[in-house]
Amino acid sequence: MSTITCDVAVIGAGIIGTATARYLSARGAEVAVIDRSYMGSGSTGRCIGGLRHQFSTPPSIRLMKESIRIFSGLEREFGHSVEFHQGGYLLLAHDDAMADTFKSNIKVQQSEGINVSLLNPGEIQALVPDLNTEGLVAGAWCPDDGQAFPFAVLKGFRALTEKSGGQFLLHNPVEEIRQHNGFELLLHDGTRVEAPKVLLSAGPWTREMALPLGLDLPLAPERHEAMITERMPRFLDPMLVDYRSDGCYFQQMLTGQVIACYTPVPNVPGIREDASIEFLPNLAWRMTRLVPALRNAAVLRHWAGCYTMTPDGNPILDQTPIDGLYVASGMCGHGFMFGPAMGRHMADFILDGEWGMDFSEFALDRDFSPGVETLK
Amino acid sequence: MTDRVVICRCEDITEREILEAIRAGASSMEELKRVLRVGMGACQGRTCGPLIRCLLARELDLPVDSIREWTRRPPIKPVPAGTFIQGDES
Repeated sequence: MSTITCDVAVIGAGIIGTATARYLSARGAEVAVIDRSYMGSGSTGRCIGGLRHQFSTPPSIRLMKESIRIFSGLEREFGHSVEFHQGGYLLLAHDDAMADTFKSNIKVQQSEGINVSLLNPGEIQALVPDLNTEGLVAGAWCPDDGQAFPFAVLKGFRALTEKSGGQFLLHNPVEEIRQHNGFELLLHDGTRVEAPKVLLSAGPWTREMALPLGLDLPLAPERHEAMITERMPRFLDPMLVDYRSDGCYFQQMLTGQVIACYTPVPNVPGIREDASIEFLPNLAWRMTRLVPALRNAAVLRHWAGCYTMTPDGNPILDQTPIDGLYVASGMCGHGFMFGPAMGRHMADFILDGEWGMDFSEFALDRDFSPGVETLK
Repeated sequence: MTDRVVICRCEDITEREILEAIRAGASSMEELKRVLRVGMGACQGRTCGPLIRCLLARELDLPVDSIREWTRRPPIKPVPAGTFIQGDES
């Protein structure tokens, strides 16, 4: 069986692995991206494609500023559309405590140069005429937030990676990672990949890949579900996020479909992609409570995917105690939006050994006491 | 000719687009669905699914039976959101 030698082996062809590979190869590194299935088959391809600046701490906000700047240029870079659109994110607070959280976040976001403001219910109604504003206290509004289509983004990053000589080894799970003069990865079909450096960006599978190497990463996958409607004429521009415990979030895609999720309480732990029986009735009720006109929207499909959670809601982006082994996982549902900028920074870190930005909040040896990121 | 044969009528995808995606490396129904959105429209692939399966089999030179069908996703047929709600309150 064949042996492939490269500078960096990337495990996981989701957005994090693929974007990192693109920036590694752009700097002349030889990369091989390995995935157990097709590109985006893990979390990336199951996400709903939202992009937002509205986070609660500077590292995430800065990362998103850079990511959205990259997203906005991808069509030109790739030569094909990625369905990027800045329709904004409108976060909704139905109690004073959440409104206060928005207020303190907005201060941080504004000091980072983000165009975000607190709206009263009247202003919200003017922005989204179809919204039921009953019980609404305030909204946080950033018109520069938006959306993109994950598969088009993956396709573009892959093409650029391959153009610079990178390889994609898909439908070929890594069976074993051996440490021996660097790393030797044994793939399912018998191919061996030899590399001095390895990036674990396998989303929900990252923890179990690191365990045989003696690393117990604080990563906990959980199931999240989503649904999509038929295409409809565009009537809703922003992503609406209802932060009530029985809330939901949804947006209308550029192509007309409304795509929606809610965060289950309590959470549903495990690597699970099964669809629950209660999701559609719950979601239909939550969504139509917010936008009653959606009552007539035809639901086409319902699916599930994993968030990979960390105890504090921030990702893990770091080298590990094992020389040459890096980890980028624990995106807590934000991998697609973080991806482009995170890929660029991860690539620089792997090649230069230092961060271009202060990422100590994402370090592996940080204090993981819960409660840092308030905008889950 | 293939650019005039529409395989997925809901998403308006032609035979040529499907053949190009297969030649670009897509080797399964799931990949084609995600890259081209075939089977993601109102009929949920009931019309184009069998045709795409045959195209894949032909292009990859495999028996049709060996090409795995799409995962079937609820609710199978388009259902208005309001139908899922009993009465006006949950």
